[in-house]
Amino acid sequence: MRTRLSALLRSKTPGGWAATVAIYALALTWLYPFAWMVAASLKPTPQIYTTALFAGDWTLDNFRFLFATADKLDRPFLQALGISALVTLCVTASVLVTSAFIAFALARLRFPGRKLFGDFLLLQMVIPTTMFILPLFVLVKELGLLNSLAALILPFMMSGWGIYMMSQSFRAMPEEYFDAARLDRASLWQTVARVVMPLNTSIIAIVALFTFTGTWDNFLWPLIAISEADRMPLSVLLATFSKQYGGYAGPVMAGAVLQTLPLALLFLVFRRQFLQGMALSLK
Amino acid sequence: MRWTGNGRGLSREAIVGLALAGAYLLFTAVFWAYPFFWLAKLSVTQWRFFDQPVFTGARNLVRTMQDPQFLGSLWNVVRFLAFYLPLAFGGALLVAFGLQQVGRGRAFVALCFLLSNVSSGVALSLVFLKIFSSTGPLNNALDAAIGVRIPWTNHPTLAMLAIALVVAWKFVGYYGLIVYSGLLTVPRELYDAARLDHAGPLTRLLRITMPMLNPQLMMVLTFAILVAFGLFTEPYLITGGGPADSTATPQMIIYETAFRRLQPSHAATMSIVISLASYVLVVLARRLFEKKVVIA
Repeated sequence: MRTRLSALLRSKTPGGWAATVAIYALALTWLYPFAWMVAASLKPTPQIYTTALFAGDWTLDNFRFLFATADKLDRPFLQALGISALVTLCVTASVLVTSAFIAFALARLRFPGRKLFGDFLLLQMVIPTTMFILPLFVLVKELGLLNSLAALILPFMMSGWGIYMMSQSFRAMPEEYFDAARLDRASLWQTVARVVMPLNTSIIAIVALFTFTGTWDNFLWPLIAISEADRMPLSVLLATFSKQYGGYAGPVMAGAVLQTLPLALLFLVFRRQFLQGMALSLK
Repeated sequence: MRWTGNGRGLSREAIVGLALAGAYLLFTAVFWAYPFFWLAKLSVTQWRFFDQPVFTGARNLVRTMQDPQFLGSLWNVVRFLAFYLPLAFGGALLVAFGLQQVGRGRAFVALCFLLSNVSSGVALSLVFLKIFSSTGPLNNALDAAIGVRIPWTNHPTLAMLAIALVVAWKFVGYYGLIVYSGLLTVPRELYDAARLDHAGPLTRLLRITMPMLNPQLMMVLTFAILVAFGLFTEPYLITGGGPADSTATPQMIIYETAFRRLQPSHAATMSIVISLASYVLVVLARRLFEKKVVIA
């Protein structure tokens, strides 16, 4: 034990150890805003600014306020949480299914204009999406969808990025799998659902995770498309609540915890896929 | 199901392929091409959401280029980048060298720095609004340590610095990962050869590491420029664009113009100008700083 410890100590120079300790300290400092947010959400509002990080009277009152009292202020948080979950799950499911099929076509089927289609996807990804928000508002207004969940779901049901990412992965599959599927007279649905998707779970997880986080935390679009409090997703309801009732620091922080929690949990559980996905976008 | 062609017309495979691609193109036509067309139309007409658009030619463009608030927001992008670029590059290099240094705890350190990148921008903006407030924890700590309180959100320069700090906190982990992936590709022989030539650590850093990292640093620069032009959530929630529009970003001005002052034509022209400006700045940065590094 002692020899192992001394071997470990000698594996780095003293300067190297100092640098290592410093980087760990910095990494933990990076988590401070999260720690402060969680601590503040569990303290009575008057104690948030006056007590040390882990001191104070712990209570769940802020969460109780959010789910019970805020309703009376026309801020239905529980419903907003449901809307966020519904919208995010619908968009993610739709993007996954459409991307898988269209990416399969782009990667493995021969049809006229395939190359052009691939180039068009790349072109689309270069043009910034923020440019489209205003005209998209005009379109959604013309369709009479303002203040509806459809406004939050329909424009995002397919993703050029998702198609492109999946097609890159599908392209690398050996042709033998498709020969076998053809021999078995597998239908299009069977080929994609039973052969392609099970063999490409990592790219599918990556597209799902990034679509989920992007939709859950989308702010500018729902801020524009939804103006009635009882249709707002959590991100927008929380922002309007903070603007109007900023003094309720405790409940605001409790809402921030609710908004952050699903994303943080996903990231911790699927950290490998997240890191893989980030590494993929570097190529 | 037959996947191969039979020589007459389109094969089954081609029909399925065209149908799937067609489904996406239909979606794109409605939610991408049609808005694109509207954006172009709005930029050359006068419209107020309710009446008929009236063609006015280049008047919107002239008006946009003379709008002091819009020009101010463009200048704010430059002011933001002045704070953000040093923070982004310094932080990215620190994280990258740190990851190289820690060895076994690498995954843990990377997760600590990346959590800010994948978690909620809305929630954390509200957290920083409290952290930077005059009685917030940051000022309490400063007050206890050196007896000063910094009015973060009441001073134009400090407010911009605060925004840059929050955005850097969010992205430095990701940028660090990019630079780290570059560090992994530098051949060790280069350092060995340099040591034989008696090159010191600083020379090795400046003459080998930095040039070899050029592609990754260019990527960070490109992302940083795009972030600067797309900034909305953080200034909207933390400073509200103030004090006196000193942190109002182009996206905020576009939002205000279109949905508060109900001048969509004006806002459409702005968003086109902003997209072109970000594109030009990225191309310019590449021309100036991109190097082809060849190991001879």
